[in-house]
Amino acid sequence: MSGSALSTEPPILYSKAEFIETDTGNKVSRRATIAGPQNIILGGKTIISSGSIIRGDLRRTGPGHAVVISLGRYCLVGEGCILRPPYKTYRGNFNYYPMKIGDHVHIGANTVVEAANIGNHVEIGKNCVIGKFTFIKDCVKIADNTVIPPNTVIPALSYYAGSPGAFVEDLPESTQENVEAYTKGYYARFQPA
Amino acid sequence: MAPSVLYHCPCLSTSDIPPPPHLPSSSHSFHPLNTLFFCEECDAVRCNRCVSVEVSSYYCPNCLFEVPSASVRAEKNRCARNCFMCPNCRNTLAAVPADPESGDGRIPAGVAEGPYIMYCNYCRWDSAEIGITFEKPTGLAAQLQKYEDSAPDSLEFDRLKEHFDAFLRTSALAASTSGTHHHSTHHSHSLHTNSITAAASAALARDIPGVGKYNPLARSTTGRGYGKDRSVNKDEMTEYRSRSEIAQTAGAGGGEPDVELMNSLEEVGEVASLEQRWENSWVTPLQTKQLKPIRIPLHSKRSKRCPACTHILIKPEQKSQSVRYKIKLMAANYLPGIVIVLPHMRQLRDELSKRNLGKSVAAQVDEPPPGMVAGNTYEFQLNLTNPLYDPIEVRLSVQRVHVSTAPGGTAEKARRPPFAISLPTAKFPISPFAEAWEYEDDEDMFGVEDDELGIGMGSSLSASVRGGREKDGRARPKTVGVLERKANKTVVGGEVVIGKEAQGNVKFNMLVSYTYRSDDAEGGDLGVHPSKPEIRRFEFYTVVDLGPIISREEARMDL
Repeated sequence: MSGSALSTEPPILYSKAEFIETDTGNKVSRRATIAGPQNIILGGKTIISSGSIIRGDLRRTGPGHAVVISLGRYCLVGEGCILRPPYKTYRGNFNYYPMKIGDHVHIGANTVVEAANIGNHVEIGKNCVIGKFTFIKDCVKIADNTVIPPNTVIPALSYYAGSPGAFVEDLPESTQENVEAYTKGYYARFQPA
Repeated sequence: MAPSVLYHCPCLSTSDIPPPPHLPSSSHSFHPLNTLFFCEECDAVRCNRCVSVEVSSYYCPNCLFEVPSASVRAEKNRCARNCFMCPNCRNTLAAVPADPESGDGRIPAGVAEGPYIMYCNYCRWDSAEIGITFEKPTGLAAQLQKYEDSAPDSLEFDRLKEHFDAFLRTSALAASTSGTHHHSTHHSHSLHTNSITAAASAALARDIPGVGKYNPLARSTTGRGYGKDRSVNKDEMTEYRSRSEIAQTAGAGGGEPDVELMNSLEEVGEVASLEQRWENSWVTPLQTKQLKPIRIPLHSKRSKRCPACTHILIKPEQKSQSVRYKIKLMAANYLPGIVIVLPHMRQLRDELSKRNLGKSVAAQVDEPPPGMVAGNTYEFQLNLTNPLYDPIEVRLSVQRVHVSTAPGGTAEKARRPPFAISLPTAKFPISPFAEAWEYEDDEDMFGVEDDELGIGMGSSLSASVRGGREKDGRARPKTVGVLERKANKTVVGGEVVIGKEAQGNVKFNMLVSYTYRSDDAEGGDLGVHPSKPEIRRFEFYTVVDLGPIISREEARMDL
């Protein structure tokens, strides 16, 4: 059975036993290492693939409830990814800072992300290293195997590649719709086998 | 190469028939749909190459500060705040306090004073290597200003400017004293104008004899002719002595100091690479240890206009980091999108995905190489999406490739892979775009359920299509013709027969023409009743690339 001709892309199959689906549509793999899940917020319909490590336990010192990592909707955290909040020693105090990731963000496999802030509609490739306290604005595309040094600011609608990551070109104006359609389509195709 | 459909932009050329795709030069006029714009006034497709671009705002890519256009020129298109680039690796520099000299390892709490240096956290270059330190971590640009002012190139430029300035003033004075009196007010004005424009107009008057008549600077010398002007320039120009001997400066091109440098080189890394050097236009530092940090150049947000009617196509918002647009006329909102699917590739990929189930990404088997074996017949499917709010009727036609009879004809023919395409020639409709909740639940039709088709579509359905589908729908699985319709997408099947000795890629130009009924007031300005719907049509060319052809010998070797 080849499926409906209307779906131009093949479905992405996963074994039903591997993923937990929450009521908001998040699909979290059982083989993902989630530390400190009470400090992690997932917007709906986010996929966390197997082998990924999300450190929600590295929170800043202080009373009360803290959000360490927050992900938006229709995000994809690839296999083997590491999401770790950035830390800084300032005037003798050591502290972790919260990491905020926007909607429609796809992070490729085996990428290490320590950025402070990632905007919406961002596409990050495989095997990347995103340094600490990086600010990635909206609609950015980062090529595979890029190394972004710490404290970089990546402006909106840019395409960065290389190591150290440097600006390559501007993305077309329709990037936001394209990425949104791609991430929504990806989630729709992500089906149990 | 995955199969793709690219759209043709005529780019203001007179004929809108695109070049045949087997020519290598044809690739420049075909673009993916998401990079194209559409001008509503001209009813034409525009690409990034033919639009006229103007800058809407400038911003620094590091601090994201929006620089007003007035100060952009003053700051030489660079960021005037603390943004610097490492000369070694082009990464942004951070201002950090220098390590204290004392052997005391502890950092006293709350104290981070001390001289600041710029530090690159990628290649570990720091400004202490060239001896630049700062007192405070902000206002780095101002602190570096004095270094920049005392650089040899800016000093030289200032001296040159003074020299020419003085000369221009004297030549203007000479011209005015020899002229009539009532021009003196003119000249006092021209003296106050920019000395650069005065120099430019004098140069123009010298080179082009006719212009001098209209130039107030030379008007007074018409009586004397232009020889005097020229001789005035030649005689009074004092010789200019440059401040420093060029040949003696290191790095300026092969002088003595350069040779000594090369003699004493120990490793190649000591010499700066070309990319690192050409930031400086005067004396490029030859050694890596002389490279200075560079101010970060500004980026700009651009607005684009149609070249023919200057209608604005893209107008970004004022805020520097906002990705929204005040005006955005993208072709994807006007032209139907086309995606190609090759069913035989999809079958291979489906089997692969079943095998890859549960494996990690690294261990997965890659996709099979795309290609079609020569001598076979393959079917392909075109998935068309209608972006308009009105239903459209589309007709596809393959462009005939003219066989050239030029002397190079036989070579051309050999390069052109022989294949035959069969596509449905009748018009087929595509439903309008609407929100998801407006569609009926089971619109998944396979060409047999024509009753439901009749409900949802309205009057744009042509009887011939319906009749054709009824005939073939139940007999055998169709490959050529409308295969499926759902929401605002239609899948059309076609076949390609590849010749036995074919090589290269299967590429053909396809003309897509569609008609739609527009009910809005656009029809009103023709003088007809504004509410009368009129049928408008539009057509564009595309190039369809189905992928490479695997020759039969290779296929046999693989097996």
